[in-house]
Amino acid sequence: MAKIPITLQINGERHEALVEPDRTLLDVLRTELGLTGTKTNCLDAECGVCTVLVDGLAVNSCLYLAVVAQGRAITTIEGLAPAGSGRAPAGTLHPLQQAFVEHGAVQCGYCIPGMILSAKAYLDDHPRPSEAQIREALAGNLCRCTGYQKIVDAVLAAAQRMAGGAVAS
Amino acid sequence: MSGATRVVGHSLPRLDAPGKVTGSAVYAADFALPGMLYGKVFRSREPHARLVRLDTSRAAAIAGVRAVIAAADVPDVRYGAAVKDEPVFAPDIVRYVGQPVAAVAAVTLEAAEAALAAIEAVYEPLAPVLDLAAALAPGAPLVHEGWQAYTAIPILQRDGNVCNRARIVVGDVERGWAEADRVFEHRFTTAMVHQGYTEPRAAVAAWDSSGQVTVWSNTQLPFDVQATLADILAIAPSKIRVIVPGVGGGFGGKLRVGVEHFAALLARKAGRPVKVMTTSEEELTAAYPRQGTVIELKTGVTRDGRLTARQGRIYFDTGAFAGSGPGVASVATLVLAGPYRTPNLHLEGYAVYTNKTNCGSYRAPSGPQANFAVESQMDIIADALGIDPLELRLRNIVREGDEGPTGQVLSAVGLEECLRRAAEAIGWRDRRPGPGRGKGLAIGWWTTTGGSSGVYVKINPDGTVALNTGAVEIGTAALTGAAQVLAEALGVDLTDITVVSGDTFATPFDFGAQGSRTAFAVGNACRAAAAELQRKLFAQAAAQLGAAEETLELRDKHVVGPNGRISLAELARQSQLAGGGMIAHGTFIAPGTAYDTKRVEGHVYPAFHSPSFHAHAVDLSVDGETGEVTIHKYVVAQDVGFALNPTYVEGQIEGGVAQGLGQTLSEEIVYRDGRVLNANLTDYKMPTTLDVPRVESILVEHPGRVGPFGAKGVGEPPNVEPPAAVANAIAAAVGTRITSLPITAEKIVLGQNGGAR
Repeated sequence: MAKIPITLQINGERHEALVEPDRTLLDVLRTELGLTGTKTNCLDAECGVCTVLVDGLAVNSCLYLAVVAQGRAITTIEGLAPAGSGRAPAGTLHPLQQAFVEHGAVQCGYCIPGMILSAKAYLDDHPRPSEAQIREALAGNLCRCTGYQKIVDAVLAAAQRMAGGAVAS
Repeated sequence: MSGATRVVGHSLPRLDAPGKVTGSAVYAADFALPGMLYGKVFRSREPHARLVRLDTSRAAAIAGVRAVIAAADVPDVRYGAAVKDEPVFAPDIVRYVGQPVAAVAAVTLEAAEAALAAIEAVYEPLAPVLDLAAALAPGAPLVHEGWQAYTAIPILQRDGNVCNRARIVVGDVERGWAEADRVFEHRFTTAMVHQGYTEPRAAVAAWDSSGQVTVWSNTQLPFDVQATLADILAIAPSKIRVIVPGVGGGFGGKLRVGVEHFAALLARKAGRPVKVMTTSEEELTAAYPRQGTVIELKTGVTRDGRLTARQGRIYFDTGAFAGSGPGVASVATLVLAGPYRTPNLHLEGYAVYTNKTNCGSYRAPSGPQANFAVESQMDIIADALGIDPLELRLRNIVREGDEGPTGQVLSAVGLEECLRRAAEAIGWRDRRPGPGRGKGLAIGWWTTTGGSSGVYVKINPDGTVALNTGAVEIGTAALTGAAQVLAEALGVDLTDITVVSGDTFATPFDFGAQGSRTAFAVGNACRAAAAELQRKLFAQAAAQLGAAEETLELRDKHVVGPNGRISLAELARQSQLAGGGMIAHGTFIAPGTAYDTKRVEGHVYPAFHSPSFHAHAVDLSVDGETGEVTIHKYVVAQDVGFALNPTYVEGQIEGGVAQGLGQTLSEEIVYRDGRVLNANLTDYKMPTTLDVPRVESILVEHPGRVGPFGAKGVGEPPNVEPPAAVANAIAAAVGTRITSLPITAEKIVLGQNGGAR
């Protein structure tokens, strides 16, 4: 299959790549660009571990073609901290990441990048969500370790912190 | 106890959390090497057949394909934990749909997949053994005609399709039936279910010019994989380095060699590194899921609710190879006894071959199945006798100093407290609060698996501490718990500790992440290492502080004496200049648990070490028209001995309940005619955020004698009771007793497989 040159805007940086038209964004992120924070599992949009943000919307990158991502702003977990500003000191976490650490919401961690990005996409549009709304928003992200309770608690806490304006997101 | 401790008993963030929330943590699935090839496995499409022709020539000719291997290309060995019955590739007979027949490696995944499609296999079908009834029928076809020739653990009781029969006999059940006023007999069934870890099994293997192979894998047991690879590759274990970068969940499914051997064999053939990673379809057709079971349970009881005898048989459909089956069948007999005083027991566990995927270990192997039968029947008995289910349990549960089923003496038994507190929290007095609504209880006990653990602990010249352990962090935060034990003992902060783990060349031996043992065993090894370091530090500091060693203590990152103090950093620097560094080797082996050897037969797990006790309670509603179950509240009271880190202990409970609810209500690997019908994550229904209720965790602490600070294993137990607790609540809510897992809405409404009431 003939390869196509594409330019991707990922975490605020331009990346050039030469890809087949059927290559997924997930594959390009992980294999071409070494951004393995975006995880791989079912490859059928069933589990959510590959979730990234495209123009602020959470998408399953395992079914999203890389060529379609041209000209759109892509955010992966590597681009979330430090809070998108680029000026925060090393080690600074986004309020969602900080809340996941503080609330014990991380176990094996494999679902967590996708979980955090799904949460971010939702909170960006719904700054004061209820628990039920958070559960609805995260229903496409499977976690087998936590039972979701501490994840939901972390997102609630992060929402409060973000709405309080402590850290711009 | 947290008031008296600085580090243990406190809910401190896990050490690996920052890497996991920022995406910088590297898992085996993320691992890659330059020039790496992609390996894929060609699998049987027949449940039982003779492989009459295998042609890989077209596959080998495809552009980009660098290696194609089948049985003829690899050492003729069989491997297995209890019975060495499994070949790497089927040499002549295939025994399940999904069994590896060949493997390929290519420069791209696409080329590897094209090569699989180009492999031609011709089969001559044989009579398949499709379920337990067929396997156990008189004159049934044998899954392994040559079963007697296999090497096996000597004590196993094997016979044809039965690859172990484990038995516990106590007293005389005939006498127990005679003493009983009522005898209850029921049959239960449970489905095959998958661990559901989100990271596929993955391995990258690379050989060097000295004939050494390094395998980066997400195994829970690097040392076991090293040993098995030595057999399969026919080289010395010292030539095999297994490194575990990170594990995206295991739950027992990543204990044994899964894809590591394919990566290593393909890499050897191709002369280049090879990565092999499973697909969801492979996971649901050719992994190590939990065995489906059939359970026959007969219990005698007096009019006032005293248990007089129990006879139980649990049959495990262990699939085409023994896998964990012989051990799981053994453990099951202890679960069938329940945490009850029963004077007469006759309990048997059978591991049975069928032409299905090879089953393995899944969080509390045998626990949910056997407990489902025991605790469902306890409620049936209670209702039949007109005794409250809570009261019936209180009349029969084990207490401090009682004997377990094989004669072990039980200590630190917090069961009554668990039971009473769970019942209180769920509001047991109002067991049927409204139409279609009911509450259920279930209790159980579980083991803290033994095995040895070693750690090297080094104090760095800046005063921080390196904890080097052969154990593996699979997500439970067990190594954070062990590090808390170390920090407590050394007088440093948790954040001063760096963990290096899971490398068969660089780390000391560890029995591995299995059986709820990691924080328990590694924590104790840390205590031993800290004691040794203390001795060295005090010996080195005493003269400098002008004080006797026995007057010194470790506090606030210093050795403190009556007249002054000296920092750990300074002592480590001194040791680096003159003593080769401040380092200690700590080890731990769980002491054996005494039991009555005359009571057991064919049994590879005759006692529960440092047992834990627990009670679950649930309040739910059932929609009478749709059968939909809505859980209002779920309570777990678990005797954890001592909670090293309460937040992550809760995390184990919450996650274990969620997994347990999946097994209870929705999960099943559905086989028909030897083929899996639902090998994808849409049709294999794991719980989402919308399916799991909030769980209230009550941490009961009756400190054990062996574990660090009294801790007991916590990881597996929460997975044991959900099926029974939910089944009992459904029965209370709508009067329908479902004796078959999963309890789907269809079964509730249509009564399929119900009727035991």
